[in-house]
Amino acid sequence: MAAAVTIAAPTLPSLHSSSCSLPPLTHRSLSFVAFTSPTITKLSSHRSPRRFPSAPSTSAFSIKAAAAAADKKRVLVVNANSGGHAVIGFYFAQQLLSSGHEVTVLTVGDESSDKMKKPPFTRFSELVSAGGKTVWGNPAQVGDIVGTAKFDVVLDNNGKDLDTVKPVADWAKSAGVEQFLYISSAGIYKPLDEIPHVEGDLVKDDASHVSVEKYMAGLSFSSWAVFRPQYMIGSGNNKDCEEWFFDRIVRDRPVPIPGSGMQLTNISHVRDLSSMLSLAVENSAAANGKIFNCVSDRAVTFDGLAKLCARAAGRELKIIHYDPKAVGIDAKKAFPFRNMHFYAEPRAAKEILGWTGTTNLPEDLKERFDEYVKIGRDKKPMQFDIDDKILESLKVAVTV
Amino acid sequence: MARLVAMQPRQASPWASSSSPLLPSSLSEFNGAALSISLQKRRRTWQPKGALQVTASSAKKILIMGGTRFIGVFLSRLLVKEGHQVTLFTRGKAPITQQLPGESDQDYDDFKSKILHLKGDRKDFEFVKTSLAAEGFDVIYDINGREAVEVEPILDALPKLEQFIYCSSAGVYLKSDLLPHFETDAVDPKSRHKGKLETESLLDSRGVNWTSIRPVYIYGPLNYNPVEEWFFHRLKAGRPIPVPNSGVQITQLGHVKDLARAFVTVLGNSKASKQVYNISGSKYVTFDGLARACAKAAGFPEPEIVHFNPKEFDFGKKKAFPFRDQHFFASTEKAQRELGWAPEFGLVEGLADSYNLDFGRGTFRKPADFTTDDMILGKSLVLQS
Repeated sequence: MAAAVTIAAPTLPSLHSSSCSLPPLTHRSLSFVAFTSPTITKLSSHRSPRRFPSAPSTSAFSIKAAAAAADKKRVLVVNANSGGHAVIGFYFAQQLLSSGHEVTVLTVGDESSDKMKKPPFTRFSELVSAGGKTVWGNPAQVGDIVGTAKFDVVLDNNGKDLDTVKPVADWAKSAGVEQFLYISSAGIYKPLDEIPHVEGDLVKDDASHVSVEKYMAGLSFSSWAVFRPQYMIGSGNNKDCEEWFFDRIVRDRPVPIPGSGMQLTNISHVRDLSSMLSLAVENSAAANGKIFNCVSDRAVTFDGLAKLCARAAGRELKIIHYDPKAVGIDAKKAFPFRNMHFYAEPRAAKEILGWTGTTNLPEDLKERFDEYVKIGRDKKPMQFDIDDKILESLKVAVTV
Repeated sequence: MARLVAMQPRQASPWASSSSPLLPSSLSEFNGAALSISLQKRRRTWQPKGALQVTASSAKKILIMGGTRFIGVFLSRLLVKEGHQVTLFTRGKAPITQQLPGESDQDYDDFKSKILHLKGDRKDFEFVKTSLAAEGFDVIYDINGREAVEVEPILDALPKLEQFIYCSSAGVYLKSDLLPHFETDAVDPKSRHKGKLETESLLDSRGVNWTSIRPVYIYGPLNYNPVEEWFFHRLKAGRPIPVPNSGVQITQLGHVKDLARAFVTVLGNSKASKQVYNISGSKYVTFDGLARACAKAAGFPEPEIVHFNPKEFDFGKKKAFPFRDQHFFASTEKAQRELGWAPEFGLVEGLADSYNLDFGRGTFRKPADFTTDDMILGKSLVLQS
């Protein structure tokens, strides 16, 4: 689908966004100044003792001093219009904008699509207010969409396979983009007996992301890097994560967890992913040619996550463990996480970028629960067909 | 030659299939000289960003509390090779020195000629105080201390002590659903290892220049805790491996030689002053995975694993499985970042080292005891019939 492109000014191509007209340059400079902050110590370095959840405010990013004009980057984020990763582009754009960089977000598809009625897209006006540009279209036509606008950095937070990313990567290369970043997936690691997944570990031969990673590497960008995320939480998330637990806990329903409940996974606050990406932009030489596990540095068990959600909600918790095969259901449909240990550690980011994480699940989940209630989801009528099937097969009564 | 594995360079061919770690067909050996040399090489070539230079220690007068059983056997050799004067404080129940499997006669004779022994019972606090005061030591390595009271006479005896290096335990961490354990995590004042915690507190309160090392499960040749030995007995007997519950519990093993190197790395290192470090292997492993790793390391076929519910049995005083039935692992990031130390043994390589130098030669500490196995297998056979 061709995007509607309006070339307004003869000199500067303007990227038409129907959500709001582009603020004039001077206005943007003012917003730039407004977002300038004195150098605030990187939040992530306030590593409070983990003994008690004393987290930094979850809305705080790693705010650095406003980028000097010479360091200001022009960044294009190609963003998926749905899915667990969609929110990454939003946080990344916000963080870059607050650091004084120029950001354009190209979201797949049409602005009028129903998909845009879900977060984070519902909050894209915030990007525009901060001086960013939001456009829509088919990434395969990215060159047409952005016209002659120049970019220093491109982040592809969309494609899972080479067919989707190749046009973007090829265009970026030909357009002289210096740094190409790609959101891959930690799901491509081969599950092994030894944990965690560490950068450099074997990946599945047939994983489609792998072909993208290899292709990018061969394009000789001045700097390229791959980021492999897992699951994330955070306001603006497009896909349910902790909500799945809250839905059951606030309705006093048992939480059915497949297997032993000891499976480890990595649930990161998306601000950690965003801060890692920003560091890569600001340290493009160090980040060049590297793979980064884009995750927090703690694992949590399925049971542990349920407990933390219940604690955040201030409610009782009842966990029911079940064997998906015995019950005859597909665990993928019944539970939001893969039914196995799935845990990567951000060792490369710590060592190479000096990144530190700020995810603090006990505190972050409290904030997530507050929002869950604020939007009225706790009162929303819901069906739990699969849950009921599980509980039925285990002869567990649900008192509603 | 020391069977040390070079660190895999990061990011080199990230998508290439890695070959499985070479299992030494020839017997590997621990040679203090080679180990020491490569240790120095490591110091020269790997300077992590921001880490202070490890100061070359001038020769110290060192006392190791213990040192004749496991960790100390390897640590003492490293220290002697570095030129320090090393004394072992033991009751003399075990031989003061024993030639290590694969250790050359020359190396052993050299070590034997240099190592000193102070015979005594560390629970005899008066003796500890007077004998240590009489000798005067620069550095104490406390490898076998369990209770804070045992450390007091040492500190009383040596007011000018330069450094007290303590072997604590990751067992002090409070059990958590959020893992791995970092050094800043909450500790459990009620744990079985609370004596270690109390010792750490005592050291801190006395204003001593202390360093505490918290290993997880230690393994390697001469291990007296039946960790890998427990698996090897069953593998050799062709028996199934009984694993409690799901088998997905995650644990972590650290090779004794890597631990010994860590102990040497903190010696005279101002960065390590009053610091705690988790020291273990680079990766963690599931119970089921560990059974498979032991088989792979020792050249046995993949084992049959039988999962059992511990609640269905009364094993009495016997342990049916060598690990605590929970996730238990710690991050070694702090030591790697601040000290420039890194574990060199991968799990399978390390287990092979242990097998080739110990169990595989017919030596072990505890004879096989399959009593609990038979209880478990008997029951599972009944269920199947």
